[in-house]
Order: sequence, then C-alpha cells, then structure tokens
Amino acid sequence: MNPEVHVPGWEWYYVAMYFYIGGVSAGSYFVGSLAEYFGSEKHREVSRIASYLAFPLILLTPPLLIADLGRPERFWHLFVDPNSGLPYLNLQSPLSVGSWALLLYGAMTFLSFLDNLVADGVLRTTPFAGLYTRIPRKLYALVGCGAGFFVAGYTGVVLNITARPFWAATDPLVGALFIASAASTGAAAIYLVFAVRRMLPRLHLGAIERFDRLAKVLELVLAVGVVLLAGKFAAPLLHGSNAVMFWGGAVLAGTFVPLAASWYLNRSATGEPLPGGLVVLLSLLVLVGGALLRISLVQAGQV
Amino acid sequence: MAKGMFVDTSICIGCKACQVACKEWNALTGEPAHFRFDPAEKRPVAVNFTGNSYDNTGALSATDWRHVRFIEQISEDRSRKRWYFSSDSCKHCNDAGCLNACPTGAIVRTGLGNVFVRQDVCIGCKYCIPSCPFGVISLSGKTGTVHKCTLCNDRIHQGLGTACAKACPTESIRYGELAELKRRAGARLAQLKGLGYDRANIYGYNEAGGLNVFYLFLDHPSVYGQPENPVVPQRRLPVSSAAAAAGAVAIGVAALVSFRERGRKEDAKEEGKK
Repeated sequence: MNPEVHVPGWEWYYVAMYFYIGGVSAGSYFVGSLAEYFGSEKHREVSRIASYLAFPLILLTPPLLIADLGRPERFWHLFVDPNSGLPYLNLQSPLSVGSWALLLYGAMTFLSFLDNLVADGVLRTTPFAGLYTRIPRKLYALVGCGAGFFVAGYTGVVLNITARPFWAATDPLVGALFIASAASTGAAAIYLVFAVRRMLPRLHLGAIERFDRLAKVLELVLAVGVVLLAGKFAAPLLHGSNAVMFWGGAVLAGTFVPLAASWYLNRSATGEPLPGGLVVLLSLLVLVGGALLRISLVQAGQV
Repeated sequence: MAKGMFVDTSICIGCKACQVACKEWNALTGEPAHFRFDPAEKRPVAVNFTGNSYDNTGALSATDWRHVRFIEQISEDRSRKRWYFSSDSCKHCNDAGCLNACPTGAIVRTGLGNVFVRQDVCIGCKYCIPSCPFGVISLSGKTGTVHKCTLCNDRIHQGLGTACAKACPTESIRYGELAELKRRAGARLAQLKGLGYDRANIYGYNEAGGLNVFYLFLDHPSVYGQPENPVVPQRRLPVSSAAAAAGAVAIGVAALVSFRERGRKEDAKEEGKK
C-alpha cells in the first residue's frame, strides 16, 4: 500500500510535442553547427538549411508550453519574480534552467536565421545588424550549439528528476536518449529539406550519414538501457499503446529500420545519391519515430 | 525556532475532526459524494465514494489537505483484524521536492520552517506534483494553481496552533516546537515498546532531510501508506545532468569523427583524381 506519487497531468499533445519539436530544432541546429565546425566549407549548405529549420521550429514551441500551464497568462514568472521584479533562476530545477536555456537558444537561432537571410540576399540588411555582425557567426553558432544540446537534453532530465516510479527508475538515461534522438531527427529534417527541394546531389551524404548512423546506434543502446533500468516499473513500455509506440514506432520504425536501410543501401562507394523518394520516406519514419519516443515516455510515467 | 506537528497514530480514533477543521479554516470546498448518470454505461456511477472503506477521500488533493487514512486489515477467516488510523498531510520536508522543483519561486519556506505556495506567483506548470515523494501537492482546476497544506501559515505566525491540532480530541495531532515534540515522541515510543509494540517507530527524523510533520506508527510506514525510503528527486540531479552531458559529448565526438575524417578521405580521393 504505497502512496501514489501524483501524476502531473501533462498533456502529450502539448508537453511531449514540445519535447519533440524542441528536439528536432535543437538537433538540426547542432548537427548543422558541428558539420560546419568539424567539416570543411562544403558542409556550409547543411548548416544553412539547419538555421532555416531551427528558428521557425523553435518558434512553435512556446505556445505549446504555455498552453499546458494552469495559468498561461503568468508564463513570464519563469523569468521574473512578479513581486520583486528581479530575474528568477532556480538551479535545482531543470525546468527553470531549461526555460532560460530555451530563451538563449531562441536568440542564437534567430541570429543565425537573420545571418543566412542576409547571406542569401533575401534581406539586404537587418534593423540591428550593427549590434551583432561584428560578432563572428561561429561564436553565436557555438553558444547556440551548446544551448541546443541543453534544450534537447534537459527535457529528459525533467522527467528523470521526479518521484514518479517509471521516470525515477529510468534516471539518468532519458536526457542522453533525447539528445541522441534529437541528433537523429535533426539530421532527418535536414535530409527531408534537401530531398524535397531536389538538392540531394549537393549534400555530402557520406559524412552526415555516418554521423547519423552513430547517433542511431547510441539511441538504440540507450532505448534498450532505459527499459532495462526501468526494471519492475517497465510495465507501461511492455503492454498496451505505449509499448506499441515505443517498440514499434520509436525503436523499430524510427531507428532500427532507417539504420538498417542506411547500411544496406550504403552507396557512398559508388557516389550515387539515393533516390529522393526513398530519402523522404526514411526521413519521415525517423521523424514520426522521434515523436512517438517522446509521447510514449511522457505517457509511461503518467499511467 | 522550527515549528511542526507530531502525529501519534496510536491514539487516533479516526473521527476526521482534523479534516473538517482544515476545510473550515482554509475555506476549502467539499467534494460531496454523489451519483452521476454515465451515458456509456447506461447506469448511475458513484463519484467520490471510496466504497470499500470508512476512508472518505482516499488521498490528499488540492481541496483535501488532510486525509485520515483508514487501515482496515481483516484475515481471510475473519478471526483476526487490525484497524489503524493515520491522519496524513504535507510533511513540510526540510529538503522539499516541491520547493526544489518550482521554476518560479512560487513555493517558499517561512522562518518557522513551513512550506507554502504563493498563489499569486504559481503558474500551474505542475512540475512540483510528481516531485513530491509523498503524493501531497495537487493542481486545482478552478484556480489553475497548485495547493497543499500551509501548516496554517496565517495562524502560526500569530502564535496560534494549526487548525487540525486544535480540533483533535485525543491530541493525536500536536503542534509545537520541533525539539519539544521530539522529546514527547521519544517518551511515547519508549512507553509503547515497553507495552510490547515491537514494531512501533518514528517516521520523519531522517526522511527527506527531516520532516517537520512526523509520525509515530505501530507498524512499518508502508502499512500506513508512506514510502519506506522517500527520495528527494533533486538529489539525483548531479548524476542525471552528468549523464545527459555525456550524451552530448558522445554526439559531439560522433560528429568530429564523421565530418573530419570523412572530409580528409574525400579530399585525398579528389587529390588522387588530379
């Protein structure tokens, strides 16, 4: 007769979707920045597409987060104490630190977004270009990359740092799992844009595919690790709809199948790019799998 | 000068006067038991009836800040029975999971050691709810904010005791200085052990950094619906953060080996073609 640690009642269509969309945005941003940092100038195209994805996607997330609040009009209390008027940060609360990281990440992706618009000639200049053009682009890409890892990972730490049996038992793996999933879904979003805009021949698939495969292997290992860690609390991931979403959606369709396909179809030896339709299909599998991963883990802690 | 409550469950008679006093003083609405017609089932269904116990709320909630738990254990052949009561509430932990989790500073501790929710600051993010290892704090659909026992914050700062302790007819709930309450608890425990209650124990000296509302139980805490080893979730934060950071480093290394090495090989190939 143990007491029930109460469920928060976070709605999957707000909270899990925020975890997911924030992850895709952050993943594409750090994949793009890392490609540009570690790779040569030919990965510039990847980082360009990444900045065009990261900022619009992260713009979608605050409404989701705010809609799940009991008092949406007070969302700004996350940053400012309404009584003292001073900024508020609670280092013990992943939610508090995460809110600030999201703000920082949003600002950095916005700068990269503007920067690329100017570079592509869409905008001739920006209203406050003087404020930031003297800062090297790579500097805010670096800060944004770090904040992106934080945005992708803290959502898993939020779940782990609770007393709900399933979330507490899976500590400390969910943060790392969400980061691996962000990398994989971020790369998939980039592939998708390249494929849809028929730019695949310009994508140097070899490197990004290799990175993507490593991320997916890490994701598979961590997903299995989460279930093993959950032990006697793993039931929600072994029966019912959460199990279908987790094993069928996230693990099999979203990770294992695209990984196997990537190995099987590895044409980098011939240099032939994969057919666009196939890239679209595989990318969509990865993206849907990433959403189902977040939904199943958010729901598994609330049954 | 920390204040708190000592709940001696061995003399609780299950009268629920504490529940009523709490509702009265804090102006908490009742949730009357009633029947509601369920169109899917095509019959009336009971709402807010526990139906299997004299326990009338079953759990703590945003409007039930006190809950008298009934432990009714009867053997299969009905020859042996135990009937225990335990009046439960927020424990006002010294290391409070809800307070640690709050991203807005809405949950605060006063100089008397009690923890309460500033209703004008809470945004209803609900993160404190799964962060309480005792299942205390809860969201109110009416206010959109979380609510829990305040240790009668408005009374104790005026030198009054808590409403529940005031109403308790057997002094099973006592309000006072923690040190004095602990002395009393120690003496009562020794007395009960002398009477042969070998399993009698005090719950709350070490749990969650020490509980300002602590209990004397006649059996294991789990019999009374309390966790045997409550863990304050934030104590796991350093390891959890380190693991997430390790994940980020792993992805960074994956990017380094993928983009850098690959770039070099391709460069070598291209140079070879020339």
